[in-house]
Amino acid sequence: MPIWLEAAIRSVSILIGLFVITRILGKKQLSKLSFFEYIVGITVGDIAGTMSTDLDINLQEGITSILIWSLFPVLISYISLHNKKFRDFVEGNSTVFIKNGKVLEENLKREKYTIDELMEQLRKKDVFRVADVEFAVLEPNGDLNVLLKREKQPLAVGDVFPNPPSEKEPQTVVMDGKILDEPLATMGLNRGWLKTELDKQGIAIENVFLAQVDSYGQLTVDLYDDKLNVQQPQDKQLLLAAMKKVQADFELFALETQSEEAKQMYEKNAKKLNDLLQKITPLLKN
Amino acid sequence: MTVASQVKQSLASLKSMHASFQQFALTSTDEKAQRAFHEAMLLTEEVIADVKERVSQLEREEPQYHGK
Repeated sequence: MPIWLEAAIRSVSILIGLFVITRILGKKQLSKLSFFEYIVGITVGDIAGTMSTDLDINLQEGITSILIWSLFPVLISYISLHNKKFRDFVEGNSTVFIKNGKVLEENLKREKYTIDELMEQLRKKDVFRVADVEFAVLEPNGDLNVLLKREKQPLAVGDVFPNPPSEKEPQTVVMDGKILDEPLATMGLNRGWLKTELDKQGIAIENVFLAQVDSYGQLTVDLYDDKLNVQQPQDKQLLLAAMKKVQADFELFALETQSEEAKQMYEKNAKKLNDLLQKITPLLKN
Repeated sequence: MTVASQVKQSLASLKSMHASFQQFALTSTDEKAQRAFHEAMLLTEEVIADVKERVSQLEREEPQYHGK
């Protein structure tokens, strides 16, 4: 067997093997590498690289060492999944740097963090005044996480509307011009509905690149033809406007009418609609 | 515009609102929203009944507006 062929076979089979191993190690490895996992990754890669080029190395030895290097982290993550103490030992503990708005100098010293570095990390989180911080903690993977004081926290929807309407995830019903039946069924809709909605907006299905349905059943589309202007769904705004108009009309009628009975009827219904407006407005605003 | 036709216009708006509420009640996926829209729909029905009553009164009082 020529040398190049052997190298090629080795490389391809090692590539496949590495692919399988990375699948086993899972997604977690990608997002947050601990120092240990980092070293493991580099070493496995190095062994694989050497094995595929250096034909003097015995395949058995190489494969054994790769297996050990890659299966050891699997074993460790399996044990730490079931044992909190072991997990703390392997992954390390988080260290509190700021508590009740006060910097804990002892903990800084223990993690060999200078106050400059702490402030740099805080600035990365858009915090320029240490006094704004209620609580800050250094995670085992080296990230600093910050809880701002209540009055410095950004405004959330829940602060403005006590009971905001919940919004579910939108479903993509057309992708690359193909109708996806499963998400449509999830929303309790079907192809007939989709066609009606598109007809309403005057769009041919062949022209649709992407279409999504939000949790209120409103359809938004992106077309292949970018020169066409698509209207955003306005059903909610129109409904809100209609409600306001009818409510105002009733108040007007109540003032204009001569009949006492009709006046009362208009006033009662104007009030009803007003209450309804209060209740329904958060749902119709987006 | 006469009073009768103004009231009829409001009635038409109310009917359209009723349909929209019904549509949102059916297509919303969130249960709370569904219920709110459904209640709104029922309330609109009550208002529609009142206004219909008023329209027929107006038509009786002033027959020249009948059907306009």
